Amino acid sequence: MDKNKVALILGIVCIILTIAICVQVKTVEDAEKEVGKNTLSANGGLRDEVLKIREKYNNEYKELEKAELDLEQLRAQAAANNTVDLQKQEQITKINKLLGNTEVSGKGIIITLDDNREVSADEVLNVSSYLVHYNDLIEIVNELFNTGAEAVSINNQRIVSTTGIMCDGNIVRINGEMVGVPITIKAIGLPNVLYYQLIRTGGYLERMKSDGVKVFVEQSDNITIPKFEGVYTHDYIK
Amino acid sequence: MVLIAIIIGCVVGALIGMNAPVISYTYSGYLAIAIVAALDSVFGGIASTLKGKFDMMVFVSGFFGNAILSILLTFLGEKLNVDIYLAAIVVFVGRMFTNLAIIRRHYLDKWMNRHQEK
Repeated sequence: MDKNKVALILGIVCIILTIAICVQVKTVEDAEKEVGKNTLSANGGLRDEVLKIREKYNNEYKELEKAELDLEQLRAQAAANNTVDLQKQEQITKINKLLGNTEVSGKGIIITLDDNREVSADEVLNVSSYLVHYNDLIEIVNELFNTGAEAVSINNQRIVSTTGIMCDGNIVRINGEMVGVPITIKAIGLPNVLYYQLIRTGGYLERMKSDGVKVFVEQSDNITIPKFEGVYTHDYIK
Repeated sequence: MVLIAIIIGCVVGALIGMNAPVISYTYSGYLAIAIVAALDSVFGGIASTLKGKFDMMVFVSGFFGNAILSILLTFLGEKLNVDIYLAAIVVFVGRMFTNLAIIRRHYLDKWMNRHQEK
Protein backbone atom coordinates (compact mmCIF):
# COMPACT_ATOMS: atom_id res chain seq x y z
CA MET A 1 0.00 0.00 0.00
CA ASP A 2 1.25 3.43 -0.90
CA LYS A 3 2.17 5.20 2.32
CA ASN A 4 1.39 8.67 0.95
CA LYS A 5 -2.08 7.63 -0.05
CA VAL A 6 -2.73 6.24 3.42
CA ALA A 7 -1.50 9.46 4.98
CA LEU A 8 -3.72 11.53 2.70
CA ILE A 9 -6.83 9.51 3.48
CA LEU A 10 -6.12 9.59 7.22
CA GLY A 11 -5.57 13.35 7.00
CA ILE A 12 -8.88 13.95 5.22
CA VAL A 13 -10.70 11.74 7.68
CA CYS A 14 -9.13 13.64 10.57
CA ILE A 15 -10.32 16.94 9.07
CA ILE A 16 -13.89 15.66 8.89
CA LEU A 17 -13.68 14.26 12.40
CA THR A 18 -12.30 17.41 14.00
CA ILE A 19 -14.88 19.58 12.22
CA ALA A 20 -17.62 17.35 13.58
CA ILE A 21 -16.14 17.46 17.09
CA CYS A 22 -15.78 21.26 17.01
CA VAL A 23 -19.36 21.73 15.80
CA GLN A 24 -20.65 19.36 18.45
CA VAL A 25 -18.71 21.09 21.23
CA LYS A 26 -20.01 24.47 20.10
CA THR A 27 -23.58 23.19 19.96
CA VAL A 28 -23.35 21.75 23.46
CA GLU A 29 -21.83 24.98 24.79
CA ASP A 30 -24.62 26.98 23.17
CA ALA A 31 -27.20 24.73 24.77
CA GLU A 32 -25.55 25.31 28.15
CA LYS A 33 -26.01 29.03 27.70
CA GLU A 34 -29.72 28.44 27.19
CA VAL A 35 -30.31 26.00 30.06
CA GLY A 36 -27.48 25.65 32.54
CA LYS A 37 -26.14 22.19 33.14
CA ASN A 38 -26.16 22.51 36.93
CA THR A 39 -29.73 23.61 37.37
CA LEU A 40 -31.16 20.39 36.04
CA SER A 41 -28.21 18.07 36.46
CA ALA A 42 -30.30 15.53 38.33
CA ASN A 43 -32.79 15.52 35.47
CA GLY A 44 -30.65 15.18 32.38
CA GLY A 45 -33.62 13.97 30.40
CA LEU A 46 -35.73 16.94 31.40
CA ARG A 47 -33.02 19.37 30.38
CA ASP A 48 -32.80 17.67 27.01
CA GLU A 49 -36.54 17.92 26.62
CA VAL A 50 -36.57 21.60 27.55
CA LEU A 51 -33.85 22.39 25.01
CA LYS A 52 -35.56 20.44 22.24
CA ILE A 53 -38.97 21.94 22.88
CA ARG A 54 -37.54 25.44 23.08
CA GLU A 55 -35.78 24.93 19.77
CA LYS A 56 -38.97 23.63 18.22
CA TYR A 57 -40.86 26.61 19.61
CA ASN A 58 -38.31 29.03 18.20
CA ASN A 59 -38.51 27.42 14.77
CA GLU A 60 -42.30 27.49 14.75
CA TYR A 61 -42.26 31.08 15.98
CA LYS A 62 -39.99 32.09 13.12
CA GLU A 63 -42.38 30.45 10.69
CA LEU A 64 -45.31 32.27 12.28
CA GLU A 65 -43.50 35.58 11.93
CA LYS A 66 -42.83 34.84 8.29
CA ALA A 67 -46.47 33.91 7.70
CA GLU A 68 -47.61 37.13 9.36
CA LEU A 69 -45.31 39.11 7.13
CA ASP A 70 -46.73 37.33 4.08
CA LEU A 71 -50.24 38.03 5.29
CA GLU A 72 -49.42 41.69 5.69
CA GLN A 73 -48.09 41.87 2.15
CA LEU A 74 -51.08 40.00 0.74
CA ARG A 75 -53.42 42.33 2.56
CA ALA A 76 -51.61 45.36 1.23
CA GLN A 77 -51.79 43.95 -2.28
CA ALA A 78 -55.47 43.12 -2.02
CA ALA A 79 -56.34 46.52 -0.60
CA ALA A 80 -54.27 48.55 -3.03
CA ASN A 81 -57.10 49.47 -5.39
CA ASN A 82 -59.99 49.92 -3.03
CA THR A 83 -60.48 52.82 -0.63
CA VAL A 84 -62.68 50.88 1.78
CA ASP A 85 -60.24 48.01 1.88
CA LEU A 86 -57.39 50.43 2.36
CA GLN A 87 -59.11 51.93 5.37
CA LYS A 88 -59.72 48.47 6.83
CA GLN A 89 -56.09 47.61 6.22
CA GLU A 90 -54.96 50.71 8.08
CA GLN A 91 -57.31 49.85 10.90
CA ILE A 92 -55.84 46.37 11.20
CA THR A 93 -52.32 47.77 11.30
CA LYS A 94 -53.31 50.26 13.97
CA ILE A 95 -55.03 47.64 16.10
CA ASN A 96 -52.07 45.30 15.82
CA LYS A 97 -49.81 48.08 17.02
CA LEU A 98 -52.02 48.73 20.03
CA LEU A 99 -52.39 45.03 20.80
CA GLY A 100 -48.63 44.66 20.83
CA ASN A 101 -48.47 42.36 17.82
CA THR A 102 -45.91 44.51 16.05
CA GLU A 103 -42.73 46.27 17.03
CA VAL A 104 -43.34 49.96 17.61
CA SER A 105 -41.07 52.96 17.94
CA GLY A 106 -41.45 56.59 18.84
CA LYS A 107 -40.73 59.25 21.44
CA GLY A 108 -40.96 58.53 25.12
CA ILE A 109 -39.03 57.92 28.29
CA ILE A 110 -36.69 55.26 29.61
CA ILE A 111 -36.68 54.41 33.31
CA THR A 112 -33.79 52.42 34.72
CA LEU A 113 -34.15 50.76 38.12
CA ASP A 114 -31.48 48.87 39.99
CA ASP A 115 -30.96 47.43 43.45
CA ASN A 116 -28.71 49.43 45.73
CA ARG A 117 -25.77 47.10 46.19
CA GLU A 118 -23.65 49.57 48.15
CA VAL A 119 -25.40 48.99 51.45
CA SER A 120 -24.79 45.95 53.59
CA ALA A 121 -27.48 44.11 55.49
CA ASP A 122 -25.91 44.96 58.87
CA GLU A 123 -25.96 48.72 58.35
CA VAL A 124 -29.55 49.34 57.40
CA LEU A 125 -32.87 48.78 59.11
CA ASN A 126 -34.72 47.25 56.19
CA VAL A 127 -32.73 45.82 53.30
CA SER A 128 -35.92 45.12 51.38
CA SER A 129 -36.49 48.81 50.73
CA TYR A 130 -33.22 48.98 48.78
CA LEU A 131 -34.40 46.39 46.26
CA VAL A 132 -36.67 46.58 43.22
CA HIS A 133 -39.86 44.63 43.82
CA TYR A 134 -42.64 43.47 41.53
CA ASN A 135 -45.12 45.89 43.09
CA ASP A 136 -42.79 48.77 42.19
CA LEU A 137 -43.05 47.67 38.59
CA ILE A 138 -46.84 47.45 38.80
CA GLU A 139 -47.05 50.95 40.28
CA ILE A 140 -44.78 52.41 37.62
CA VAL A 141 -46.61 50.68 34.77
CA ASN A 142 -49.92 51.95 36.15
CA GLU A 143 -48.57 55.48 36.40
CA LEU A 144 -47.21 55.29 32.87
CA PHE A 145 -50.48 54.13 31.36
CA ASN A 146 -52.36 56.65 33.48
CA THR A 147 -50.15 59.43 32.10
CA GLY A 148 -50.93 58.40 28.54
CA ALA A 149 -48.19 55.97 27.58
CA GLU A 150 -49.19 54.05 24.47
CA ALA A 151 -46.73 51.16 24.67
CA VAL A 152 -44.69 49.97 27.64
CA SER A 153 -42.05 47.29 27.93
CA ILE A 154 -40.05 46.02 30.90
CA ASN A 155 -36.72 44.49 29.90
CA ASN A 156 -38.11 43.95 26.40
CA GLN A 157 -41.28 42.26 27.67
CA ARG A 158 -44.18 44.17 26.14
CA ILE A 159 -46.96 44.98 28.58
CA VAL A 160 -50.25 43.94 26.97
CA SER A 161 -53.75 43.31 28.24
CA THR A 162 -52.96 39.74 29.32
CA THR A 163 -49.64 40.51 30.95
CA GLY A 164 -49.14 39.50 34.55
CA ILE A 165 -46.39 40.95 36.71
CA MET A 166 -45.67 38.47 39.45
CA CYS A 167 -43.15 38.07 42.24
CA ASP A 168 -41.13 34.90 41.78
CA GLY A 169 -38.55 35.00 44.55
CA ASN A 170 -35.45 36.84 43.50
CA ILE A 171 -36.79 37.59 40.02
CA VAL A 172 -40.00 39.00 38.60
CA ARG A 173 -42.06 37.10 36.10
CA ILE A 174 -43.56 39.14 33.27
CA ASN A 175 -45.48 37.38 30.49
CA GLY A 176 -44.18 34.19 32.09
CA GLU A 177 -40.58 35.16 31.39
CA MET A 178 -37.92 35.83 33.99
CA VAL A 179 -36.98 39.48 34.48
CA GLY A 180 -34.31 40.64 36.88
CA VAL A 181 -32.38 43.78 37.81
CA PRO A 182 -31.20 46.05 36.27
CA ILE A 183 -34.67 46.84 34.98
CA THR A 184 -35.25 49.06 31.96
CA ILE A 185 -38.77 50.30 31.47
CA LYS A 186 -39.45 51.88 28.11
CA ALA A 187 -42.61 53.82 27.45
CA ILE A 188 -43.79 55.52 24.29
CA GLY A 189 -45.86 58.65 24.77
CA LEU A 190 -45.45 62.40 25.02
CA PRO A 191 -41.97 62.60 26.60
CA ASN A 192 -42.46 65.80 28.57
CA VAL A 193 -45.69 64.70 30.18
CA LEU A 194 -44.43 61.23 31.00
CA TYR A 195 -41.14 62.53 32.37
CA TYR A 196 -42.45 65.27 34.64
CA GLN A 197 -45.39 63.24 35.91
CA LEU A 198 -43.14 60.32 36.78
CA ILE A 199 -40.53 62.36 38.64
CA ARG A 200 -43.01 64.66 40.34
CA THR A 201 -42.45 65.47 44.01
CA GLY A 202 -44.08 62.83 46.15
CA GLY A 203 -44.46 60.55 43.17
CA TYR A 204 -43.71 56.87 43.25
CA LEU A 205 -40.28 57.17 41.68
CA GLU A 206 -39.24 59.79 44.20
CA ARG A 207 -40.39 57.57 47.02
CA MET A 208 -38.36 54.69 45.57
CA LYS A 209 -35.35 56.95 45.29
CA SER A 210 -35.63 58.05 48.90
CA ASP A 211 -35.99 54.39 49.89
CA GLY A 212 -32.54 53.85 48.42
CA VAL A 213 -33.30 52.21 45.07
CA LYS A 214 -31.27 53.47 42.15
CA VAL A 215 -33.67 55.25 39.81
CA PHE A 216 -32.75 56.96 36.59
CA VAL A 217 -35.21 58.54 34.16
CA GLU A 218 -34.43 60.02 30.76
CA GLN A 219 -36.37 61.30 27.79
CA SER A 220 -35.63 59.86 24.41
CA ASP A 221 -36.70 60.62 20.87
CA ASN A 222 -36.11 57.17 19.54
CA ILE A 223 -37.45 54.26 21.55
CA THR A 224 -38.14 50.88 20.05
CA ILE A 225 -40.44 48.55 21.92
CA PRO A 226 -40.50 44.91 20.81
CA LYS A 227 -43.69 43.07 20.06
CA PHE A 228 -45.52 40.82 22.50
CA GLU A 229 -43.96 37.39 22.10
CA GLY A 230 -46.75 35.40 23.65
CA VAL A 231 -49.99 34.25 22.11
CA TYR A 232 -53.49 35.58 22.73
CA THR A 233 -55.89 32.75 23.39
CA HIS A 234 -59.65 32.93 22.89
CA ASP A 235 -60.98 29.57 23.96
CA TYR A 236 -63.71 30.78 26.32
CA ILE A 237 -64.65 34.14 24.91
CA LYS A 238 -67.96 33.82 23.12
CA MET B 1 4.35 10.68 7.45
CA VAL B 2 1.06 9.28 8.71
CA LEU B 3 1.48 11.11 12.01
CA ILE B 4 2.15 14.42 10.25
CA ALA B 5 -0.92 13.98 8.07
CA ILE B 6 -3.07 13.29 11.13
CA ILE B 7 -1.75 16.37 12.96
CA ILE B 8 -2.23 18.63 9.94
CA GLY B 9 -5.72 17.20 9.42
CA CYS B 10 -6.66 17.86 13.03
CA VAL B 11 -5.37 21.45 12.94
CA VAL B 12 -7.13 22.27 9.66
CA GLY B 13 -10.31 20.58 10.86
CA ALA B 14 -10.25 22.52 14.13
CA LEU B 15 -9.76 25.81 12.26
CA ILE B 16 -12.70 25.09 9.96
CA GLY B 17 -14.81 23.75 12.82
CA MET B 18 -14.29 26.92 14.87
CA ASN B 19 -15.94 28.96 12.13
CA ALA B 20 -18.59 26.42 11.19
CA PRO B 21 -22.22 27.16 12.09
CA VAL B 22 -23.87 25.51 15.07
CA ILE B 23 -26.26 22.67 14.31
CA SER B 24 -29.66 22.39 15.90
CA TYR B 25 -29.69 20.80 19.36
CA THR B 26 -32.14 18.10 18.30
CA TYR B 27 -29.53 16.61 15.99
CA SER B 28 -26.55 17.04 18.28
CA GLY B 29 -27.25 13.63 19.83
CA TYR B 30 -26.91 11.99 16.42
CA LEU B 31 -23.73 13.88 15.63
CA ALA B 32 -22.25 12.79 18.95
CA ILE B 33 -22.80 9.11 18.20
CA ALA B 34 -21.44 9.58 14.67
CA ILE B 35 -18.32 11.17 16.14
CA VAL B 36 -17.78 8.19 18.44
CA ALA B 37 -18.21 5.79 15.50
CA ALA B 38 -15.81 7.78 13.31
CA LEU B 39 -13.27 8.04 16.11
CA ASP B 40 -13.38 4.27 16.44
CA SER B 41 -12.73 3.93 12.70
CA VAL B 42 -9.75 6.28 12.88
CA PHE B 43 -8.16 4.39 15.75
CA GLY B 44 -8.84 1.15 13.91
CA GLY B 45 -7.16 2.62 10.83
CA ILE B 46 -4.09 3.66 12.78
CA ALA B 47 -3.84 0.25 14.45
CA SER B 48 -4.07 -1.61 11.14
CA THR B 49 -1.51 0.75 9.58
CA LEU B 50 0.90 -0.18 12.34
CA LYS B 51 0.21 -3.85 11.73
CA GLY B 52 0.70 -3.28 8.00
CA LYS B 53 -2.75 -4.58 7.14
CA PHE B 54 -4.34 -1.26 6.22
CA ASP B 55 -7.01 -1.58 3.54
CA MET B 56 -8.26 1.73 2.22
CA MET B 57 -11.68 0.49 1.12
CA VAL B 58 -12.32 -1.15 4.48
CA PHE B 59 -11.22 2.00 6.28
CA VAL B 60 -13.23 4.53 4.25
CA SER B 61 -16.36 2.39 4.13
CA GLY B 62 -16.04 1.76 7.86
CA PHE B 63 -15.62 5.45 8.61
CA PHE B 64 -18.73 6.58 6.80
CA GLY B 65 -20.70 3.34 7.12
CA ASN B 66 -20.33 3.10 10.89
CA ALA B 67 -21.20 6.76 11.36
CA ILE B 68 -24.34 6.52 9.22
CA LEU B 69 -25.37 3.17 10.68
CA SER B 70 -25.00 4.43 14.23
CA ILE B 71 -27.09 7.49 13.41
CA LEU B 72 -29.79 5.29 11.90
CA LEU B 73 -29.73 2.97 14.90
CA THR B 74 -30.00 5.91 17.29
CA PHE B 75 -32.94 7.21 15.29
CA LEU B 76 -34.60 3.79 15.39
CA GLY B 77 -33.94 3.58 19.12
CA GLU B 78 -35.61 6.93 19.64
CA LYS B 79 -38.67 5.73 17.72
CA LEU B 80 -38.80 2.44 19.66
CA ASN B 81 -38.06 4.20 22.96
CA VAL B 82 -34.99 1.97 23.51
CA ASP B 83 -31.61 3.56 24.13
CA ILE B 84 -29.86 1.75 21.29
CA TYR B 85 -27.16 4.42 21.21
CA LEU B 86 -25.90 3.02 24.51
CA ALA B 87 -25.09 -0.27 22.76
CA ALA B 88 -23.33 1.62 19.97
CA ILE B 89 -21.26 3.56 22.50
CA VAL B 90 -20.29 0.38 24.37
CA VAL B 91 -19.21 -1.37 21.19
CA PHE B 92 -17.33 1.57 19.68
CA VAL B 93 -15.60 2.66 22.85
CA GLY B 94 -14.72 -0.95 23.65
CA ARG B 95 -13.11 -1.32 20.23
CA MET B 96 -11.40 2.01 20.66
CA PHE B 97 -9.70 0.70 23.78
CA THR B 98 -8.67 -2.50 21.99
CA ASN B 99 -7.16 -0.50 19.14
CA LEU B 100 -5.44 1.87 21.55
CA ALA B 101 -3.95 -1.18 23.30
CA ILE B 102 -2.62 -2.44 19.95
CA ILE B 103 -1.08 0.96 19.19
CA ARG B 104 0.41 1.16 22.67
CA ARG B 105 1.90 -2.34 22.45
CA HIS B 106 3.36 -1.64 19.06
CA TYR B 107 5.28 1.40 20.27
CA LEU B 108 6.14 -0.26 23.59
CA ASP B 109 7.69 -3.22 21.70
CA LYS B 110 9.63 -0.87 19.48
CA TRP B 111 10.92 1.05 22.47
CA MET B 112 11.84 -2.15 24.36
CA ASN B 113 13.72 -3.54 21.34
CA ARG B 114 15.74 -0.38 21.02
CA HIS B 115 16.46 -0.46 24.73
CA GLN B 116 17.69 -4.05 24.57
CA GLU B 117 19.94 -3.38 21.62
CA LYS B 118 21.89 -0.77 23.55
